[in-house]
Amino acid sequence: PTGLYAVPRSMHVSLSISSSCSFSGAGQDVGRSCILVSIGGKNIMLDCGMHMGYNDDRRFPDFSYITQQGRLTEFLDCVIISHFHLDHCGALPYMSEMVGYDGPIYMTHPTKAICPILLEDFRKITVDKKGETNFFTSQMIKDCMKKVIPLNLHQTVQVDDELEIKAYYAGHVLGAAMVQIKVGSESVVYTGDYNMTPDRHLGAAWIDKCRPDILISESTYATTIRDSKRCRERDFLKKVHETVERGGKVLIPVFALGRAQELCILLETFWERMNMKAPIYFSTGLTEKANHYYKLFITWTNQKIRKTFVQRNMFEFKHIKAFDRSYIDNPGPMVVFATPGMLHAGLSLQIFRKWAGNEKNMIIMPGYCVQGTIGHKILNGQKKLELENRQTVIPEYEPGWSLEVKLQVEYMSFSAHADAKGIMQLIRMAEPRNMLLVHGEAKKMEFLKDKIEQEFSINCFMPANGETSTVATNPSVPVDISLNLLKREMALGGPLPDPKKPRTIWRASLRLVSPEQALKELGLSEHQLRFTCRVQLQDAHSDSDTHIRIYTHLKSVLKGYTIQHLPDGTVMVESIVIKVSSSPEEPNTKVLLLSWSYQDEDLGSFLSTLLKKGLPAALSSM
Amino acid sequence: MYEISSDENEFEDWFIESLKIYSNIHEYQLEHPTRVIEWTGEKNVCVAGYNLSKNEILELLLPLKLFADDNQGLCAERDFKVVHGGFTDGSIHCLKHIPGTRCVVTNDGSSSKLQVWDVGGDDCDVIKKTGDIHLKTASLDKGVKIDSPLTGNASVLHGSQVNDIQLTELTSGTPLYTLGTDIPDVLSSLRFVSGSVFLACSVNGDVYVGDTRSPSYLQKSPAGGREGNHWCMGVRADSSLPEPSSCSVARLSSSCQAVVSDLRNLKSPVCQAQLNVQRKTTSDEFLIVTWAPALDNCLAVSGFDGMVQIYNTASWRPELMEFQPIFIHRGHMMSDAHFDTSSSVVTTHVWHPSRPWTVLSAAGDGSVHVWDWVDNTTASSKSLA
Repeated sequence: PTGLYAVPRSMHVSLSISSSCSFSGAGQDVGRSCILVSIGGKNIMLDCGMHMGYNDDRRFPDFSYITQQGRLTEFLDCVIISHFHLDHCGALPYMSEMVGYDGPIYMTHPTKAICPILLEDFRKITVDKKGETNFFTSQMIKDCMKKVIPLNLHQTVQVDDELEIKAYYAGHVLGAAMVQIKVGSESVVYTGDYNMTPDRHLGAAWIDKCRPDILISESTYATTIRDSKRCRERDFLKKVHETVERGGKVLIPVFALGRAQELCILLETFWERMNMKAPIYFSTGLTEKANHYYKLFITWTNQKIRKTFVQRNMFEFKHIKAFDRSYIDNPGPMVVFATPGMLHAGLSLQIFRKWAGNEKNMIIMPGYCVQGTIGHKILNGQKKLELENRQTVIPEYEPGWSLEVKLQVEYMSFSAHADAKGIMQLIRMAEPRNMLLVHGEAKKMEFLKDKIEQEFSINCFMPANGETSTVATNPSVPVDISLNLLKREMALGGPLPDPKKPRTIWRASLRLVSPEQALKELGLSEHQLRFTCRVQLQDAHSDSDTHIRIYTHLKSVLKGYTIQHLPDGTVMVESIVIKVSSSPEEPNTKVLLLSWSYQDEDLGSFLSTLLKKGLPAALSSM
Repeated sequence: MYEISSDENEFEDWFIESLKIYSNIHEYQLEHPTRVIEWTGEKNVCVAGYNLSKNEILELLLPLKLFADDNQGLCAERDFKVVHGGFTDGSIHCLKHIPGTRCVVTNDGSSSKLQVWDVGGDDCDVIKKTGDIHLKTASLDKGVKIDSPLTGNASVLHGSQVNDIQLTELTSGTPLYTLGTDIPDVLSSLRFVSGSVFLACSVNGDVYVGDTRSPSYLQKSPAGGREGNHWCMGVRADSSLPEPSSCSVARLSSSCQAVVSDLRNLKSPVCQAQLNVQRKTTSDEFLIVTWAPALDNCLAVSGFDGMVQIYNTASWRPELMEFQPIFIHRGHMMSDAHFDTSSSVVTTHVWHPSRPWTVLSAAGDGSVHVWDWVDNTTASSKSLA
C-alpha cells in the first residue's frame, strides 16, 4: 500500500501583519489594512496600508512575520491593492523597495494613477517638512509603481498557472475595487473599503454571486447605521450659505481627485437655485488635473456623471471660476476650493494664513488629514499654530511663524463606507460559505456575527490583529483514471464526465505521510488482512521432521530472508507462518497451513507455489 | 440638462427648505421598519421590527454630533451606533423601558404575554431575553399596552382592556395591583402620571384615572360624543412631582380631532382643534399624539400619513375650530430614490426628554429621522419683540 493520503485541506487567512486601531482626532477613525491570505498553496497580500496614527516604525506593517522565513518575493505570489487611500497603500514603497519585493503588484488603473501622487504628497510632509529619516524616497515610489500591473474591472487575470484574480466595482472612491482570488475550486473575496449606496459621484459596489469560500469584509462601520448622504450635503450647503450670508469667506481644501467634483456640482446647483451672487473659485491646475483623470476614468463614476460628461465638460460651471492668487485679499464673501487637502503646502495653506484670523470666515475640511499637517492640527481644535525653525522647502513657512485660528472650523466626512446593512447586502450578493470581518472590535460585533450566522447559515470569523483564521475547504482533486476502470464504470451505467471537459483545472498538492499518521488524521483504526492457504504434501516423515525439512529447504532457497523455526514447531518466513499437520489415518499426507499478511502477498504466493512442488527427497532431516 | 420631473422638483424644494427649517437633521434607513422608539438613556433609544416572524431589537446610540453643542463643527460623528442587538421570534408592537434598569418589556400586539429583555452593558452587545410574564387576566388578544412607574420597585402596568389592567412585579411576576372593574373597553394608551396614579384611554375615547394604591378607585371621563371611532391619548405630566397637580391630557381621534383637557377636570375640554390633515391611510394602528416635554403647549401628531405635525395649542379655543400646524416634518415622504406620499406612513415618533426641539420619527419604509426643528413662529415673535 502507498503512504499517500489526501487529507482535507484548509485555507488560512492570516491577519498577523494587519492592524486595526483607531485613534480619535475630530472623530477620525483610521486603521491600517494589510492582510495575508494563504489559499491553495498560494500566498497573497491584500493591501499594504500605513497606520496614520504613528510617527515611528509602527506605522508600517511588521513584515518580519514573513521575512524571518525568507525573502518576501519568494513567499508572496502577489500583492493586491484595493484603493488609493494611504491606510491601504501607504506602506507599499516601503515593502517593495526597502524590505524588498519584486513580485507582481496589482491595482486598478485609477488607483495606479492616483496612488503615487498621494504617496509623494505624504513623503513630502514626512521627510521634507517633519524632517524624518528612514522613509521611502521619490525614486522608490517610482520604482515601486513600475512593479504594478493594472487591473480592469471584471477581467480575469492569471497571476500564474493556478492563481487568478478578478476585480469588481467597490464604490467608495474613484478606482476602488473588491477582488476575487481563485486557486482551483477555492476562492476568497476581499472587499477593501466599499459602499453599497450610490452617490452623486460614484456608483454602488457590485459583485457576482461567486460563492467564495471566504468573504473578507472591512467592518469599521459594521455596527453603525449611516446617516444619509443627503443630510451630509445639506449640512455642507447650510454652512457655506450661512458664512456667505454673513459676509464671510469659505475655504475648502481639497484633493484634486477626491470629492471636490461632487461638492462643486452640489454648490453649482445650489447657487443657481438660490440665485446666489458670491463668487465660487476653483484653484487653477486643479480643474485641468481633475478633468484629465475624470476623462480617463469616466467609466468608474456613476451614470449621472457619465451622462453629464457626454453633454458638457464637467467643470464648465456657470458659477465656479478659476482662482487667481490676487483674489485672496478681495473684500466680500467668496468660496474657494484649493489644493492640497491637508493644508500642508501650496495655495490652500496660503489662503488659510490670510483668512484664519477672521471669525466670520470658515474652513471646511472634507477629508482626513495626516498627523503633522496644519489640517490635522486645526481639526484637533488647536487655536494657535506655530512652526519651529526647521529646514523646509515650503516658502510660505517662515521661522517663528505663528497664527491665531479664529475662523470657524468644520469637519465633514463624505467618504462612503458600508454599514451593517451594506455588509448584509454584500453577503446576499456574493453568497460566501464563510464570512470574515476585519477592522472591527469583536466584542461589539457579537450581535452582527449572530445575525450573519443566523440569516445565512454560515460561519462568521472576527480575527483580532495578529490572529490567524483557518477555514476548511473541500477542494476537488483531479485523478487519472485507467481506461479499464472507466469502461467498467460505464458498463454499470450512470452519468459519465465529459472526458474533454475536465472538472478541475488545478492539481492538488498532496501530502505524503506514514500510514500510522494518515490513520490518525483520518480517524481510522488499523485492520490486518491475512491470506491463508492449504498445501497438501506427501512426505513420509513425522510432522516435526517435516517442519525441519521445510525449514532446511526454504533456508537453501530463500537466501537473505529471515527464516525461523519456532519452539512450537512453526516455521516463519518474514511474516509468513507455516504449520504442518496430518491425520492419524494418513500420516504421510501432510497438510501445510500457510498464512501471510497482505504486505507479504508476493512472498506468500511464491512460497505456496514452491511448496506445492513438494520437498526434495535429498533433504536430510538433520 | 436632463429633464426634471415634478417629483424631483418637489424633492429639491423640500431639500432647500430643509436648510432653514431644521437646525439638525439626520436620516437613517433601518433594515426593517419599527413602530417603537423608546428612550433607554439620554442618548440611547430602542427600536424593534414588527414583521410577523423574526425580528430584531436594537439599542441605538444617537449621533454624538447632535449632543456636541460647543464644538459641533469638529464632531464628525453623525451615524447611529448599534450598541446592543437581539433577536425575537415575534413582532414587537409595544416596547417599554423600565426606569432605573437595563430592562425593556415588550408585547407582540396579539398575545397576552410580555417578554422581558436585558439590554446588556459594556461587556457584550447582545440583548438577551430574561423571561416571560404570562397574563392570566388578559381576555382578548388585542395586544397589551405597557407602562412603568418612575419610582419604586421595577414593575409594569399592563392591560389590553380596562378590566384587565394590572401592575406586575418584574422579577417575580407577582401581581401587585388589579383594577377592580368589569368595563371591557379596548385600551389604546396607558400612562402613569405619578408614582401610583395612571391614566388609561380606551379606543372609544373615554379616559379613566386609576390609582395602584386603591384597586377600587376608577374615575371615568367620556369622550363626549365627538367624532372618531379610534382615539389615543398623550399626557404631559411633571414626573418630578409626587402627585399630579396640573397635567395636560390630549386626545386624538381618527377623524383628526384633538381635545386637550386638564387632569383636574377631564370632563370639559380646555381647548380643542380640528387638525388640518389629509388622511392617507385607513388604518388607525399608528395614530399617536405626544406632548413636547420641554416646550409649553406643543404637541406632535402622526399616523395619518407620511408626516409628523407639530401644533401649538396656546392658540386653540374651547370650541372646535380648524388649526394649522406650526411645523411639518415631511422627510419620510422624501426618500432618496423617490418622492412618495402614499406608502410610508409614520409609525411612531418621540420627543427627546430634555432637548426641546429634538424629535425622532420612524416610518413604514424603515426610515428613522432625528430632527431638531426650528420654531419660526416663536423666532419671528421674538425678533418682533
